[in-house]
Amino acid sequence: MAKGKSLRIGAGIFVAMIILLIGFIGVFNVTALSKAPDDTQPIMFRPDIITFDNMAAFGKLEKTKAIFLHDQHTDALEKKNKDCFVCHKTEDGRMSQKFMRLKDVTRGELTKIYCDNCTKCHKEMIAAGEKAGPVKCDECHKERPWIQSSRVPMGFDKSLHYRHYRAQENKCDRCHHEYDKKSQKLFYAKGKEGTCRYCHKEKTEGDGAEKVISMRFASHLSCVDCHQQMREKKVDAGPLRCAGCHDAKEQLKIEKVKHVPRLKRGQPDNVIIKTGDKKGRIARMERVPFDHKSHEEYNDTCRVCHLASLESCATCHSLTGPIKATKNGKEITLETAFHKHGHQSSCIGCHESKQQDKNCAGCHAFMTKTRQQESFACLRCHMIPLPERTGELSTTKAAKMARMMPQLWKETFGPIYKVNVPKTVVLRDLVNQYEPAEYPHRKVFDAMVKKMDDSKLAQYFHYDDTMLCLGCHHNTPAAGKPPRCANCHDKPFNENNLFRPGLMGSFHQQCLGCHQKMGVEKYLGCTSCHKERKKGS
Amino acid sequence: MSISRRKFLGWVGAAGLSTTIGKSATAATNKQFTGYPKSFAILHDTTLCVGCRSCEAACNKVNELPKPDKPFTDLSVLDTKRRTTTEAFTIVNKYDNPKDPKNPVFYKKQCNHCLEPACASVCFVRAFTKTKTGAVIYDSSVCVGCRYCMIACPFEIPTYEYDQVLTPRIRKCTMCYPRVIEGLLPGCVEACPMEALSFGKREDMIKIARERFRKHPDRYVDHIYGEHEMGGTSWLYISGTPFKELGMREDLGVTPAPQLTAGALSSVPMIVGLWPVLLAGIYAVSKRKEKIAQSEQKQALTSASDKEKPDESEIEEES
Repeated sequence: MAKGKSLRIGAGIFVAMIILLIGFIGVFNVTALSKAPDDTQPIMFRPDIITFDNMAAFGKLEKTKAIFLHDQHTDALEKKNKDCFVCHKTEDGRMSQKFMRLKDVTRGELTKIYCDNCTKCHKEMIAAGEKAGPVKCDECHKERPWIQSSRVPMGFDKSLHYRHYRAQENKCDRCHHEYDKKSQKLFYAKGKEGTCRYCHKEKTEGDGAEKVISMRFASHLSCVDCHQQMREKKVDAGPLRCAGCHDAKEQLKIEKVKHVPRLKRGQPDNVIIKTGDKKGRIARMERVPFDHKSHEEYNDTCRVCHLASLESCATCHSLTGPIKATKNGKEITLETAFHKHGHQSSCIGCHESKQQDKNCAGCHAFMTKTRQQESFACLRCHMIPLPERTGELSTTKAAKMARMMPQLWKETFGPIYKVNVPKTVVLRDLVNQYEPAEYPHRKVFDAMVKKMDDSKLAQYFHYDDTMLCLGCHHNTPAAGKPPRCANCHDKPFNENNLFRPGLMGSFHQQCLGCHQKMGVEKYLGCTSCHKERKKGS
Repeated sequence: MSISRRKFLGWVGAAGLSTTIGKSATAATNKQFTGYPKSFAILHDTTLCVGCRSCEAACNKVNELPKPDKPFTDLSVLDTKRRTTTEAFTIVNKYDNPKDPKNPVFYKKQCNHCLEPACASVCFVRAFTKTKTGAVIYDSSVCVGCRYCMIACPFEIPTYEYDQVLTPRIRKCTMCYPRVIEGLLPGCVEACPMEALSFGKREDMIKIARERFRKHPDRYVDHIYGEHEMGGTSWLYISGTPFKELGMREDLGVTPAPQLTAGALSSVPMIVGLWPVLLAGIYAVSKRKEKIAQSEQKQALTSASDKEKPDESEIEEES
């Protein structure tokens, strides 16, 4: 009896201790920052890292992924006067990108191919008394965190395209092809050329005859193989080493053609973008005349706008959603496709990114980055056509089109700035520590007008002579006589106008903000605008 | 008698246990203090700050602090990273701007005036007060100079007048409490030409910050520093560069400082109350065991001697 009681009390004490312990652990739960492991090995950046993870297709990897430095091997072979075919087999005159095989094999075979061939060569070199790579499993299959990739993606820009076009004697079929499902063969379709990525995606898709290899495989298969063959024929050709294309410094060495002639693929000079879709639905907005030719000049590839194909926008996008259930164009209406903010492929998104330019940011950085609900700017694209009979421009069909074309915009509606801009404005509302500031109003205005000279885009959208004024005289009607700044900007931190800065804040934000954005370094200190006031005056 | 004592010990033990299990860790503080209603706050927009040091000059003037060696117009001071001192309640530091290297970022540092200040919670003489204006103010007349506040502050703000032999004080930003109760703006806010500092009700400052995020989503990191950090502060910050790059701590969490110690402190009365009882219980149990053992031994001895007695008598009889 007494024993049982003492046992119970003992258990009570034990439970109490546990609870106390838990409490204390909770208190000290403020965890200390774990120390980063310090690596003594200096980090090596290379553009030619290939990680062997082919085995991942068979399930869980048994060993750590091996890192292979391709250029290191290419260079070593070159020194021994050996070529690529030591490691790569050929089929139908084309070099396979796979190591010592032409087709995918089973897990066991794959292991054997890699282990046997790698170590065989390394062992031979070691036997000959040369420095060589690993011969044991764990020497390859180990973490090497000090080797990091500096690979940069390679693009085929307009200049490079033109150089290939020239070198291949205008034979587009050397690279461009389509796939014929019946004969299961690639063929060249004239006038149907597109960018590689329309078909060759990030990863290999499909299987068997329908297999479309990934962009990575396709580009290396075409580019490297062709360069290799050209070099064999002793013709000057592009890089063979990884670094040649994928190293940032090497990329800069690639020759650029300054004036690339326009690509010929039967595209129109001008397009009238309809606002309806293929199902016959209409948006009621006016159609948009679009200068296709000029826009080609501003972009490096068609893919900037034509995301998935070189067909018209309405092929994939409709007024109420997608026509083709494409992976990327899903649920994107025509309206979004043209107006989405922050997307390079939409009209507004791209134009907006142009506003980040130093010449434009002074005003545009202050403007709200969301769509204005009621905006007269809409009408600059969705133009109301001029009356039918406006002189000789309405006689032919072509001329009718031209009537709306941007080349003529400058002549017909180009900006002429005739506003009566005051020469100087003296800002004396806030005289306290400093003398009044003299603002060279006209000088600034003229400078802004001049900055638009080189930009067709700017000229087009700042069409009205009061348009430029709105940069500073915001939220007011575009007119020759805007209201004074102090009419709206009063004392700061007014609860009735929570988001409106006070007068001093608004002056400084506007002036300094613009100077910062436009890189005007002359006027950044206090006394560069207003002199310090002498005491007693 | 002995049974009832055992029962008594059992009851005490059970009562002690029930108190430990039943109480939550937040028992020592108010659940979640989200600041006095309509208290003020200051919003610092680092994207607007141009690093002119007008705020530093105004702070120096308002608080009647000694003139520094270099004048406030000397911007070379910004090249070194500084911290608050007993003679500078606020300082502006310059940081690289990876987005726009030509325009560095400036960050003004001073007391953040926490909604639940750590300095006030550790101060055993209550020298710190969180006022209804939002300001955390300090009363030097009661201060004993223990400097617990300096250790407690997660932002390392309070400074101590080590050079004052007789009357050393803790020095820090007062959020211009004396000016604010008179209806004036804090010195730094009034002086800021860029309106990079906004002053008003804390809710309104958060509204302003959100409006700026909405208008210029690409200009800001979508986070108001101080809205929830350490349970919220009366100084709020918005920035275009991650706060970590401005030397601001991002590891503080959203729990107010007093709550971090509430768990430990709540167990203090339990330990103080329960520990002696437990120890006394263990002592009593072992004592009792001893006592029983002793009495049993005694009983055994007496019973043994009872059996032996006839022998003795026999011997006596024989002799």
